[in-house]
Amino acid sequence: MSERTIRTNLISSIRKNGDALVASIIGEVDLSNSPVLRAALMDLIARHAPKKLVLNLRHVQYMDSSAVAVLVEAVRKVGKPGQVALTDLQPRVKGLLEIARLDTIFQITGTEEEALEK
Amino acid sequence: MTTMSNPTPADSPRCIELKIDSYAENLTPTRRAVEAFALGCGFDETSQGEIGLCVNEALANVLRHAYGGATGRPIAIRLENMPDGIRIAVRDWGKGLNPMTLAPREQDPLRPGGIGLICLRELMDEIDFHPQTDGMMLTMIRRRQASRRPGRRTRDCG
Repeated sequence: MSERTIRTNLISSIRKNGDALVASIIGEVDLSNSPVLRAALMDLIARHAPKKLVLNLRHVQYMDSSAVAVLVEAVRKVGKPGQVALTDLQPRVKGLLEIARLDTIFQITGTEEEALEK
Repeated sequence: MTTMSNPTPADSPRCIELKIDSYAENLTPTRRAVEAFALGCGFDETSQGEIGLCVNEALANVLRHAYGGATGRPIAIRLENMPDGIRIAVRDWGKGLNPMTLAPREQDPLRPGGIGLICLRELMDEIDFHPQTDGMMLTMIRRRQASRRPGRRTRDCG
């Protein structure tokens, strides 16, 4: 999958910051399109092998459990809990992560900058 | 988590029925219809979102588990505006597996599973699986007054 294709689907931007990779996800992610997000994220991780993956979810208005499973798989691929940061979470998305008690395996910050500082 | 305790709006629908086929593409429009119905029943934005999420998760479980990924199978959803809340029934004609009878699996945060059922338990006041001779009926109730069920978490969802 080309970087351009990745960028036009659920991931609107990708940039490197040292050993970290920062990507912005957009839209609503559920069972109908979470496989697309999964393919895109796994491809990014395989290509760039980031030591840290920062996912900006500012423009993700809704996410279901299938999308959460994709994010957890990203943690497994990148390495270990804390190496995937989720930033700018909408309240609905944050609430879902808390319900699933998965807010501890991600680094959750208000901004990309905070995630990259830590 | 906040819910309104206002009386049922006089002009809101009492009951609607949705019939969809088991395609993942049907989840979004169905969820939005449920959220719109919940708003008309007097639930606030946060609660309507939680109700929509629960229906989405219930339907996703039907697609994945009851129908094993088979497409084009029927699912019926009934939404009722009750005096004290909303009642939702999801009927499928699948395997009839009752997740409440499965042995609990060891929770590994890096191998998440059952998040959908967790959402239902956390966000709905009542959930019941009613085995049918040819499938399953799931009923869920969310009341306008927040309940005090043990283990019910409250959170600020904005």
